[in-house]
Amino acid sequence: MGQNDDVPFLLLIEDDDAIRTALELSLSRQGHRVATAATGEDGLQLLREQRPDLVVLDVMLPGIDGFEVCRRIRRTDQLPIILLTARSDDIDVVVGLESGADDYVVKPVQGRVLDARIRAVLRRGEREATDSATYGSLVIDRSAMTVTKNGEDLQLTPTELRLLLELSRRPGQALSRQQLLRLVWEHDYLGDSRLVDACVQRLRAKVEDVPSSPTLIRTVRGVGYRLDVPA
Amino acid sequence: MSKGIYTRLRFSSLRLRLVVVFALVALTAAVAASGIAYWLNREAVLTRTQDSALNDFRQEMQNRTATLPLRPTQDDLRRTAEQMATNSAANYQVLLLGERDAGKPIVGASDPDDFTLADVPRSLQEAVDTKRPVTEADPYPYHLFWQRTERNGTPYLVGGTRIDGGGPAGYMFKSLAAEKADLNSLAWSLGIATALAVAGSVLLAQVAATTVLRPVHRLGEAARQLGEGKLDTRLQVSGADELADLSRTFNSAAESLQKKVADMSAREESSRRFVADMSHELRTPLTALTAVTEVLEDEQDSLDPMIAPAVALVVSETRRLNDLVENLMEVTRFDAGTARLVLDDVDIADQITACIDARAWLDAVDLDAERGIVAPLDPRRLDVILANLIGNALKHGGSPVRVSVRTDDDELVIAVRDHGPGIPEEVLPHVFDRFYKASASRPRSDGSGLGLSIAMENALIHGGSITASNSVGEDGKVDGAVFVLRLPLDATGITREVQTRSSQGEVEEA
Repeated sequence: MGQNDDVPFLLLIEDDDAIRTALELSLSRQGHRVATAATGEDGLQLLREQRPDLVVLDVMLPGIDGFEVCRRIRRTDQLPIILLTARSDDIDVVVGLESGADDYVVKPVQGRVLDARIRAVLRRGEREATDSATYGSLVIDRSAMTVTKNGEDLQLTPTELRLLLELSRRPGQALSRQQLLRLVWEHDYLGDSRLVDACVQRLRAKVEDVPSSPTLIRTVRGVGYRLDVPA
Repeated sequence: MSKGIYTRLRFSSLRLRLVVVFALVALTAAVAASGIAYWLNREAVLTRTQDSALNDFRQEMQNRTATLPLRPTQDDLRRTAEQMATNSAANYQVLLLGERDAGKPIVGASDPDDFTLADVPRSLQEAVDTKRPVTEADPYPYHLFWQRTERNGTPYLVGGTRIDGGGPAGYMFKSLAAEKADLNSLAWSLGIATALAVAGSVLLAQVAATTVLRPVHRLGEAARQLGEGKLDTRLQVSGADELADLSRTFNSAAESLQKKVADMSAREESSRRFVADMSHELRTPLTALTAVTEVLEDEQDSLDPMIAPAVALVVSETRRLNDLVENLMEVTRFDAGTARLVLDDVDIADQITACIDARAWLDAVDLDAERGIVAPLDPRRLDVILANLIGNALKHGGSPVRVSVRTDDDELVIAVRDHGPGIPEEVLPHVFDRFYKASASRPRSDGSGLGLSIAMENALIHGGSITASNSVGEDGKVDGAVFVLRLPLDATGITREVQTRSSQGEVEEA
């Protein structure tokens, strides 16, 4: 995805000048092309004009806040979003993930850590297999990286797609949240299980017939999640 | 509930004391008054009866014995005695004693069945028979004597005298039963009056006790509420007595207490807010600094050798400032009660291995844990605890550090043991205090001084705890410090709210 496969093109939306400049500097040195915006409105504008590969989004923004920006992006686009949040364990993370963010980092963040997260998110969109599988009305085409339900294309974010692919690779086998964090998010042992829960819910909303009573992506209590093959 | 009964009992004992004192006062007064009244009445009644009976007897003796022959027969004596007895208004029995011949006494009784000589006390007979020398002042050799006796429970008056000049001796015997009955009924009425007085005083005492104790009870209730933290408790002040004064004092005390507590919590809240805001404000420049320190770090080799150490210092100190601010923010989150658990099923052995691996401690740490112990915990917080405990052990005790994991009933017990000099006794109670440094002379460590206290807070939020102690070797000497972390194996009860939120919209499978 993106216009230039060699240099990832990022959009950084951050209101604080110093942080914006510093992160731009750091990310540029890590080999990214960076466009910046100081407000949510400017960011959305830039997004439409320049079509970046990924958005790094501060939560605390003047005007429309990061969550709202996130929701507005998700209405039309499935590009990856990484949130810059102030705290790791408060409501920000939950709301952010529910708004459709793919991952989050906590300020202050080291350039290398942010870079690693960006690359991990971008890798999720890469194709790696050439088969396809059918689960009831759901068809996962691993070569085309598309998912269709009843013949209709589903708009999945790269993270949602990767989660579905990892689950579908081991149908009927329960995967723990920590396993999924390693496989999908490439997080270390301290990955936040709320990422998995939020992504599973978003995925269910798209692939299940009745998202509140899932038949495809099942919760296995005390373990994690499992993709069931419909009988 | 039991507290209420207890207070009522205590109050009733004061009530009891009041009642007893009132009753005693009333009883003493009533008994004294009744006793005096009874005594005076008794004397008056008895003296009157006695005087009239004895005067009558004396009169009769003079009149009747004058008509007796000089040497009366027994019949004479008996007849005379009967006449005396029937004539008198005083209603007594008479016994006359004469001498027919010398040394031959004869007795005449008005009613021999009722009154015989045996009923006359010997002392009285002797007094009557004694002849006194006649003087100017006392011209009679014989006097009239009387005595009160009792026969079969009935009081009697016995009187006796002898006629001058060799006349017969006469005795009268009067029952005082009627007087006794009168006095008895008087005693009864006095007794009843006393009882009524006591009962009345008890009622009065109750009323008095109630008027005193009701405000006291209200005061006690208000004091209890104040103690329970209802600082807006006030009493209604009515009247101008001592109890109203007390209520007023209570109210003003409560008011100043409330004000003081409000001041203190406001001050505490504002200082807490200050720390929270400050660390939050520090974070913005730190975020920018952190992002560019790596740029500096990468360029370090190509920098002027004079500048390179300065850059290295900026980089390392920025990291330290970062840790400090992060810890400060963590502490303010705990203080404000906004810290939350994010639970996940954690394989303890895996997590500890990952924790020491991530910090390159694998060679320095000796892990004794069986695989497969899984508990719902917050992995990030468990990592903070472990990193702080193991890091602390490595810093103060040196390697190897031994970490053992076992389960004890429904608890997970992780012990971190080093082989260093141990913790001085006076430091032990303070190891979890914030910014507590074991000794002033100890070189400033690279820790923030918050590590162990944050570890403790993280254990507490799981519903667990950490204890610090020294282990004693076989030779009785301290051979290292031991930190024991205890966490509930099932922390879901504490954090159901978090769990519910994370599993919303899912159908749990059986």
